[in-house]
Amino acid sequence: MRRFPRVLAAPAAGVLLFLGALGGLRAQAPPPPQTADIEALKKTAPRVFLDCSSCDLEFIKTEITFINYVRDRNEAQVHILVTSSETASGGREYTLTFLGQNEFKGINDTVHYYSAATFTEDEIRKGLVRILKLGLMTYVVRTPIASRISLRDEGPPAGPAGGTDKWRSWVFSVSSQGYFRGERSVGGSSWGMNVSANKITTDIKLRLGFTADFTRDRYEYEGTTYRSRRESYDFSGLFVKAVNDHWSIGFALAADSSIYSNLKFRVAPAPAVEYNIFPYSKYARRQLRLLYKLQFEAVSYHEETIYLKTQEKLFSESLSATLDLREKWGTITIVGSGSHYFHDFSKYNLNFFGVIQLNLLKGFNVYAGGGGGRVHDQLSLRRSGASLQEILLQQRQMASSYNYFVLFGLSYTFGSIYTNVVNPRFGSIGGGGMSIIIN
Amino acid sequence: MKPYHRFRHLTILTLAAMTWLAGRAIGQTPGAGDEGKRPPARVFIDSPMIPVAVLEKGLSFLAPVRSPAEAQVIVEIAPPRPGGEPVLTIKITGSGEFAGIADSLTVPAPPGRPPDELEREVLRVLRLALLRFATKTSAASRLSVGFEDTVKPTAVSDPWHFWVFNLGVSGFLNGEEVYRSRMLSGSFSAQKVTPDWKIRFGASISSSKDAYDVEDYHYESSSESRSATGLVVRSLDDHWSAGVLLQLGSSTYNNTAFRLAPQAALEYDLFRYSESTRRQLRFLYAIGPTRIRYREETIYDKTRETLWSHMLSATLEVKQPWGTVSTSLSGSQYFHDLSRNRLSLDANVSLRIFEGFNFNINGGGSRIHDQLFLSKGGASLEEVLLQRRQLETAYDYYFSVGINFTFGSTRSNVVNPRFGSGSGGISMSFSM
Repeated sequence: MRRFPRVLAAPAAGVLLFLGALGGLRAQAPPPPQTADIEALKKTAPRVFLDCSSCDLEFIKTEITFINYVRDRNEAQVHILVTSSETASGGREYTLTFLGQNEFKGINDTVHYYSAATFTEDEIRKGLVRILKLGLMTYVVRTPIASRISLRDEGPPAGPAGGTDKWRSWVFSVSSQGYFRGERSVGGSSWGMNVSANKITTDIKLRLGFTADFTRDRYEYEGTTYRSRRESYDFSGLFVKAVNDHWSIGFALAADSSIYSNLKFRVAPAPAVEYNIFPYSKYARRQLRLLYKLQFEAVSYHEETIYLKTQEKLFSESLSATLDLREKWGTITIVGSGSHYFHDFSKYNLNFFGVIQLNLLKGFNVYAGGGGGRVHDQLSLRRSGASLQEILLQQRQMASSYNYFVLFGLSYTFGSIYTNVVNPRFGSIGGGGMSIIIN
Repeated sequence: MKPYHRFRHLTILTLAAMTWLAGRAIGQTPGAGDEGKRPPARVFIDSPMIPVAVLEKGLSFLAPVRSPAEAQVIVEIAPPRPGGEPVLTIKITGSGEFAGIADSLTVPAPPGRPPDELEREVLRVLRLALLRFATKTSAASRLSVGFEDTVKPTAVSDPWHFWVFNLGVSGFLNGEEVYRSRMLSGSFSAQKVTPDWKIRFGASISSSKDAYDVEDYHYESSSESRSATGLVVRSLDDHWSAGVLLQLGSSTYNNTAFRLAPQAALEYDLFRYSESTRRQLRFLYAIGPTRIRYREETIYDKTRETLWSHMLSATLEVKQPWGTVSTSLSGSQYFHDLSRNRLSLDANVSLRIFEGFNFNINGGGSRIHDQLFLSKGGASLEEVLLQRRQLETAYDYYFSVGINFTFGSTRSNVVNPRFGSGSGGISMSFSM
């Protein structure tokens, strides 16, 4: 998950850098406190920009009070960039990149925090606070407020650490969701279930999953009741073997069925190979992956298609490129992909998607994105036409040779740079922010 | 039909093969995620002035070694240079897996500073400065940082006196052969939040348009809304707050051309506000008039009216190790006709029943007897299907329930980025 950090570079940076250089990065460790006024110490505490969308910021601000929180990256002495990735066990790895700026330029650090899939929100936020406090000490020790910090060491644990994993890295998950809504003239329900089994190590990745979804809707209009129904089943399997820090080979298998797409049953095995221009080990900050897939498909349709088929066997190939960059000045995500069928090269599909979020000027956040596709491979379209309500309720896939979207946003914030205060009265208020989440 | 049984077979066979391959792939290389198993960092301390044994004893989260060659962290403490500043210089250098980490700090050592005081001071600085090495080893899990002082969050020098202003615009367009849509919005806000005051003024405008073109069928719909809000809250004590709310707006969805609703409000938190991130149970009472002008004549033959109403809500928010609860019950009523009222319940609960087993429920429902704005003209079929108009109803509800059970190797910290990990979705949210 990413959120637009509130950020950016400032003209005053040069002056501060110069002062920082004079100080030679050598912190004058503060004299013993005793009589020191705590409010005076707080004024000189490190200014921190916490760049984290998935964090419980109010909790962090309540728990860590020995720093000053600022809303602009450029005002900060420490920019903490928090990224997270899913771990093999379904938990998350949080990578906290501490970037020293201004007076602390050149002092950088990276620490990790791991949450298990079984953790609750409260356990996750407490764990993050603990590791944040430890990581901040590198900077706090350079400011007078360090004299008020205590460090407790509980000593080594009694028993031997770790143990053997009797599950051999296998993680299983079963989940089910139901959703219901209604009022006098509109109603609907949906129900879904998901079963998955994953085994992920640094060397291999094996994912097996099955999902079923059922949706029903009801609309009443002038005495007539309109009903719609959708059903889909989806099985997917993926096996990936690491070759080296840039190459991987794999095999994907999909089997699905969907009323929306007119698929009665489809099975599609596909061997694949992937090359990452950056080393895989840099995943938290940057990747540029090229994935080539060769796919066989055997399909049967619910209704005869516009090409007069009720079933067919197809071969296709696809290539996709995914770029992900997470820097302190912003993030870039670009995905491009193309595929075509071998029996008829005019049946192809091209897709592009990109989002850029930038924090280049003080107070200014900009994002822009867009995507589009040329679609010439809708082999499963029904021959029979769709009704008006099927179109408006998006109950079935429609013929379209293209699609596109464009999004943009601009936000300018000025005024107080400090965001230390947590005031829960009358509930939380939105700060007028915007966020984009890319999975 | 027949050939597909064969494919189903193939699916199962392939599955079996994949599972077998996975079982054979052992002997993985250690990588990220193993920090928790690394032994404490080996440190070598070179200190001609302060006894090394004293420092080593204080640095219990590191493992002292006798020679720099064995060390991952080298600490050199140099006495003041003759004629230079009266400071001790602490130089920290990482090597091996900590190569590249270097740090330099100073501790004042004026002539006559008692040696034991200097010793304590150097140790205090060293403990904090060397923590960064502990965070990358198993020692991290047993360390905790404390700060006992309470300090006002406003103890900073701020020329803006905590006022923050924001301007934003955003847009989203998409389309395909049979469908196009467009959404544009702009917003402004000014706010000041301190422990004593919470002040926020905001204004936003948004418009959206959808168009369908299927053969000879063409349909276009658009909606627009403008709104402005104001909130001023004064803290009375750790349980009570008083405030004024203001809403101003228009909406096609609600058949409203203009609406102005100022309210006075009082809030009581059963717990202390200072515990808000862990638990809060807030009761809010608000009362005020609503001045409203409709777009189309309503089913009650009105085109404009001024009505007084009041509302009471109770909000419970709890975040504890066993789960998260967020529920709100609210009721409102018009004074001119007490039977014009509404009762709503919203709940969002996520509980851990036992390790690995989670239950969540998320939903809301209302009993509705206050739809004074419904237009006489009714809505078209498209407006109903696309939910462009609020429809007459005496109730509405939605809820979702889910359970999730995860078991197996649930403590693995490996991240494997190969072939991607996301679901490939994108979601956006705008709050104004």
